[in-house]
Amino acid sequence: MAREFKLPDVGEGVAEGEIVSWLVSEGDTVTEDQPVAEVETDKAVVEVPAPVNGTVRTLHYDAGDVVPVGDVIVTFDVEGEAAESESEAAEAAAESASEEATEAATESASKSATEQASTRTFAPPSVRRLARELDVDLDSVEGTGPSGRVTEGDVRAAAEGHATEPQEEPPDEVRSAVEPVGEQAAEHTEAETPAVESATEPAGRETTLAAPATRGLAKELGVNIHDVPAVEERDGEAFVTAEAVQEYAEGGTAAQGETAAAAPEREREFVEGGETTQPYRGVRRSIGEQMAESKYTAPHVTHHDTAVIDDLVETRTKLTERAAEQDVKLTYLPFVMKAVVSGLQEYPILNSELREDEEEIALKQDYNIGVAVATDHGLMVPVVKHVDQKSILDIAAEVNELAAKARDRSISREEMQGGTFTITNFGAVGGEYATPIINYPETAILGLGGIDERPVAEDGEVRAAQTLPLSLSIDHRVVDGAEAARFTNHVMERLTDPELLLLE
Amino acid sequence: MVVGDVSTGTDVAVVGGGPGGYVAAIRAAQLGLDATLVEMDAYGGTCLNYGCIPSKALITATDVAHDASNAEEMGIYADPDVDFGEMVAWKDGVVDQLTGGVEKLCKANGVNLMQGRAEFAGNDKLRVVHGGEGQGSETIEYEHCIVATGSQPIEVPGFEFDADPVLDSRQALAMDELPDSIVVVGAGYIGMEISTVLAKLGVDVTVVEMLDEALAGYPDDLTQPVKQRAEGLGIDFEFGLAADSWTESGDGIVVTAEDENREASKTPQADGEAVDGDTTEFETDNVLVAVGREPVTDTLNLDAIDLEPNDDGRLETDDQARTAVENVFAIGDVAPGPMLAHKASKEGQVAAEVAAGEPAALDYQAIPAAVFTDPEIATVGLTEDEASAEGFEPAVGTFPFRASGRALTTGDSEGFVRVVADEESGFLLGAQIVGPEASELIAELGLAIEMGATLEDVASTIHTHPTLAESTMEAAEHALGHAIHTLNR
Repeated sequence: MAREFKLPDVGEGVAEGEIVSWLVSEGDTVTEDQPVAEVETDKAVVEVPAPVNGTVRTLHYDAGDVVPVGDVIVTFDVEGEAAESESEAAEAAAESASEEATEAATESASKSATEQASTRTFAPPSVRRLARELDVDLDSVEGTGPSGRVTEGDVRAAAEGHATEPQEEPPDEVRSAVEPVGEQAAEHTEAETPAVESATEPAGRETTLAAPATRGLAKELGVNIHDVPAVEERDGEAFVTAEAVQEYAEGGTAAQGETAAAAPEREREFVEGGETTQPYRGVRRSIGEQMAESKYTAPHVTHHDTAVIDDLVETRTKLTERAAEQDVKLTYLPFVMKAVVSGLQEYPILNSELREDEEEIALKQDYNIGVAVATDHGLMVPVVKHVDQKSILDIAAEVNELAAKARDRSISREEMQGGTFTITNFGAVGGEYATPIINYPETAILGLGGIDERPVAEDGEVRAAQTLPLSLSIDHRVVDGAEAARFTNHVMERLTDPELLLLE
Repeated sequence: MVVGDVSTGTDVAVVGGGPGGYVAAIRAAQLGLDATLVEMDAYGGTCLNYGCIPSKALITATDVAHDASNAEEMGIYADPDVDFGEMVAWKDGVVDQLTGGVEKLCKANGVNLMQGRAEFAGNDKLRVVHGGEGQGSETIEYEHCIVATGSQPIEVPGFEFDADPVLDSRQALAMDELPDSIVVVGAGYIGMEISTVLAKLGVDVTVVEMLDEALAGYPDDLTQPVKQRAEGLGIDFEFGLAADSWTESGDGIVVTAEDENREASKTPQADGEAVDGDTTEFETDNVLVAVGREPVTDTLNLDAIDLEPNDDGRLETDDQARTAVENVFAIGDVAPGPMLAHKASKEGQVAAEVAAGEPAALDYQAIPAAVFTDPEIATVGLTEDEASAEGFEPAVGTFPFRASGRALTTGDSEGFVRVVADEESGFLLGAQIVGPEASELIAELGLAIEMGATLEDVASTIHTHPTLAESTMEAAEHALGHAIHTLNR
């Protein structure tokens, strides 16, 4: 029996994925759970496992293609067993007369000619509507109802990103579905150790780790990615950056000792008509879409101020050792998060969401703080839940863990959902003030500048004080400027006098 | 509505007040949108005024008389005296009550009603031409437009509807006196329903059909009982003939039909070209042409919004009923799919909800259909063959009405209920019914399919005894291999 395998919603509620590479070829024999393709979604690169034991009959897409979730990507010939009808392909759609009534039933009357007859998902209309509301692709939801009917719970679970796994038992060896990107400390600007490779001749490796965009670039430039000298090793595999590909294509050597992030902009050659393009999709595009939606929906106003934090610097220095005893790296961020939650408790309007259609503003009762993390595959916002109920040390440990997960792409969709307010620490890289874009549909975001000694005028004197610049962007539909200022004052008070946090 | 100097503004303009359009307008108004419904003829459209409703009224009234005079086995001897004029007046009263109801519902929901013919006058604008001399026109500016212009009977060349003896279905249902004889061109559901009514009222009916079967498109075992009973009523079927022309002759007319030697196409499209073969002539009073219906879009001036119908005259839509023009929807007979009032209504609801920003979509699993012949036929979802073609392993269960106590007590036990399910999972995929009240019985199976019910679910649901509805439960049990009142295979 043939079995058509659709691109599953890899537990992330995404609409499409890019096939980075096929791990099998047509005619290959596969066992259940064997990875057959690497797929990049908005959030991560995942390996898609085979659903059955059998042979690969057809691969329906080429590497590099972007495929909507729910589209058939592989047809397997299943060994022996009668294939499940759920996944049975229509070998031939019956040509039936286009007479009015009998047809009615089978055609979805309003779909355009691009009909897929093959499989059907069984779910009642109320569940179908819920799936549309939550933007879940019903065809990719594994039903847990009678005979595999999709229930309301299944759809909700899929929307929250922990869809029921197709297989009941976990496989013996739990594979990380995410492309390994190596351990990195939760710091913004640490340099990666490059493994220096001579670049004069093709490397000719068997396997190469690279971001999809890099693979795309290699394809565009006609470069075999396995020949590109690796910049570094990750998990024992050669890792190649876009710069290295570009470099190799231009016949040069890979930039050595530079991090991908900090690599200087390469000098562009203004050859007439010459340019390289990078694909605008996957993570890059989803960031772009979110930014545009936020900026064009919410009228942004940014309120700037500077907190004098000499005491906080001292306090953190004192506590750093204590934290280190527990293997926790203590940054300023947990203090800021605590101060922010205190401010949100005082000014709940900044912990809210505007629902225009319902004509209501939802004031959130959770204090879930998102922390924007710049990674080399784009901006991610892990969320620390219930910050009000956690100690500074707990928060520190959690932020570090989430940031590391974001960087190595092992973060789950769930860990990036449910935020009610976001903090972005651009100051970790440098700078004083910025105009952060709200993590829509939240209504406020706090940007932190770099902590540094700056002149402060006090009692007719100017002194060098440790200061933290703050930039608070608000959705002016919901929050007034005065409220933003009061909230900022409240937060600053607790950063200037961290003992106040003990009273929270 | 905001009335400006020159034009009227509305959120949703609905063109056509049939079962698609008026439902769309009411739903839009319920969702807080300003809705304007433009109708050039009668509220309720073809369905309420000239189609479903009047035909059902006449079918039922005719059956009352027919059943009364055919109940000797129950010990009833009657020869009802039918006053056809009064029957028609009663039917008209039913129609008036319903169309008046539609108008009241629209008004009660705050829908603006406008009489006239609407055509596009550029993006986001409709011009409404009022009937009558010197009535002029006005402009509506809309945010969304829902096109629900419906369909009209297809004309066969040589049988233009403006000639007195030539009738379309609408005229046939509005006759004030019965002809002695009639030729019905087309054995589709419209031709068959009207033929049955007229035959029961004593009219000499000849059905001329280009194909070699009646109700083509329905499975043979469903249509067979209908054709047999029709022949029993004295209907003469002439298959493989294409009506070609008619001439006046004495008091009546002569209809000429050509032998159809060509490969029969599934959709009878008489194109009037001369065909080699024998010619047959039928002397008759009237000829009813019922070869199908075609979408109406030529009144709309679609050029103004750069929209073009596809080859079969319909407006392509996506699963939100949107046309290629973002804020223009098409529903009902002008949209793809079967021409059925209930499908139009559902599409109207969806279009209105989408216009209001709701997450609505046309994602129904099955659309039921019914033919009100004698006996009735009703289907929903897939037949056994269609299920196989879709890759299912079909499990089929049948329950004949002759095994139904209730059917026997009605004196009408011909036909059966058949359910089709997926063998492995038990999910209901389709049902076909021919027999008494098939049009009512199909609803339960439609719900079962839509809910993703299994054979087990239907079989385990207690059904009232004695009813015809038990037959669905019995058919499901039969498919599961443990039927009680019929033999398991």
